[in-house]
Amino acid sequence: MDKARRFSAVLALLVLAASIASPLSFEETGERLSRLAAALTGAEGYDPEAASFWFDPEYASFLEDVARRTPENATVAVLVPESPDLYFYQAVYRLAPRRVVGPGRRGEAGFVAAYGPSIGQAPDGQPVTHGRLETR
Amino acid sequence: MSLPPLWAALAGVLLGLGVATLCGWTIGRMFMAGLTGREKFAWSFAIGLMVQALALLVVVAVGARPTTAALLGIEAGIGIAALLAGILRRRAAPGWFPAGRKFDALAFALAAVAGAAWALFLLTAIADAPWATDFFAVWGYKAKIVYGAGSVPRRLFADPALDFAHPEYPLLVPLSLSALGVAAGRWNEPALALFYPACALATLLALWGFLARRVSRPAGALAAALSALCFFLYRPSNVGTAEIPFALAAVLAAVAASDFVLEASAGETARLAAAALFAASVKQEGALLSVLLAAAVWGKLRTTEARRARNGALALVLPVALHGLLQVVLRGHRPSRDFDLALLSPGRWGELPARFGTALARLLSADVLPASVPLLAIVVLLIATERGAVDWLLGVLALQLLGYVAAFTLSAYGPAYAVDAAFSRIATTLFPALTLVLAARLMSSEPAWAHQTSPPAGMSDSGESSGESARRAPRLHGVGTTGNSRNEKGP
Repeated sequence: MDKARRFSAVLALLVLAASIASPLSFEETGERLSRLAAALTGAEGYDPEAASFWFDPEYASFLEDVARRTPENATVAVLVPESPDLYFYQAVYRLAPRRVVGPGRRGEAGFVAAYGPSIGQAPDGQPVTHGRLETR
Repeated sequence: MSLPPLWAALAGVLLGLGVATLCGWTIGRMFMAGLTGREKFAWSFAIGLMVQALALLVVVAVGARPTTAALLGIEAGIGIAALLAGILRRRAAPGWFPAGRKFDALAFALAAVAGAAWALFLLTAIADAPWATDFFAVWGYKAKIVYGAGSVPRRLFADPALDFAHPEYPLLVPLSLSALGVAAGRWNEPALALFYPACALATLLALWGFLARRVSRPAGALAAALSALCFFLYRPSNVGTAEIPFALAAVLAAVAASDFVLEASAGETARLAAAALFAASVKQEGALLSVLLAAAVWGKLRTTEARRARNGALALVLPVALHGLLQVVLRGHRPSRDFDLALLSPGRWGELPARFGTALARLLSADVLPASVPLLAIVVLLIATERGAVDWLLGVLALQLLGYVAAFTLSAYGPAYAVDAAFSRIATTLFPALTLVLAARLMSSEPAWAHQTSPPAGMSDSGESSGESARRAPRLHGVGTTGNSRNEKGP
């Protein structure tokens, strides 16, 4: 009986360990380690933020350009695709400490930044990378 | 040839983490007597994070721009003051000697597994900038606002346009990230990600040290290995959020409560209070965990030691109340947008059973069934092993999970949505605390010399001088399946 219980416990422990370790992807881990090596050696082309713009790599340069052209104490309304919600959250994060609001609060903003398909909603804006920036 | 910028940023963040831990040690040493060096590191780290966040708040409160020198200078000042206070009030604190340094192949092998898994997490965490949605919308956003503005702007709490950032959430994680950015002198996201492996390391060391002291060295190493292997928790998608710091908070609260139940000196009581404050400062769930632990401590001790029961419960509850009060003062009363509290009005009580049922059904189909293999393994482990030293934590953890289901019942977005969005993520943060129970049941054996009244010369692994007066800490013995102590009950 003791042996059976001990065997069951050890087996359950091994199954548990294997189950909780299962999200580890060797392929993804290998890619991450390659990126880390590139970061630590200063390899050309390494972009630490690339992974966070997986949904639209061009969006990063739009936000960078808007950040360059707006003061840090400004309120910026961003007109970006609704899905995925990372479009909006990347904007509020990358443009911080600026106050970033959605289209519903456009009236409170000193700047309106329209990206990609939303460019038409800021027809009077100056062109910026992949978008337009309207000063109000 | 200059080094790539990541090196300098990593060095700066490491400096910030190191100074915080040192500062935490100067305070924690007043109530860490008798702990292993591993536990002391974990407690010093957690206390240091709270002090570092406080130092940042002090800098911005006086209207100064946070700089590396100002922040680290305040921390150094606090550390020196704490050291002096510790020297002045130093008394012959009872020390004790945990397990000796005798080589234990199983413990060594398990520790190697834990170390390898942690190292993998460390490397993958800093390979990319954090990319979790909650990092951009909540934790990293607030941190970057504080870092960039050099203040804690009122709008973080009062601006309806920023409701998405959850003004009601505790601020320790954002303030820690801001402070590390200030300490490093730059906002470098991959370097800031070091915060998360540091939290993971503290968690593993707290588990390892506590069980090595209270149960057996293999038990400690097993808990650390199991936790480190939990890649549902320690994975890049959780870097930048509050889940990994909360896992540390849950473990510290659990071990502090377990220590308190066994022996309540001023040190144990202070650690309870520190753990409760840390847990409440990291996530809202920390307040619930502290209250549940308070109820459990009170329940366990009330019949035999009523005064100690009350003191323990108060040590857990008062810091949570204090933290809640500070939050209200800072941001005013802002009900969470996540919950529809109108459901608690008597006229709508009738809706609650159906909503609870919806949450439970969704939980079973979306979370329990997909996780049936590890859950079944846990059940088999509990059945195949006999009563363990810290089994009482199981009830607390189960009630914590039930509390999540109850909270989802009140979700403003519907119970099913809340379960899908959050349950598995927040439930996983309790896994390291669960390993305390599992490892204590599996490996409660201890070496024969452990029954000596003092350790063999030079066998302290706590780093304490073997010349100090010593007493043994009560060790907890479950009746495990692999041990040689089947007939031992204790303490």
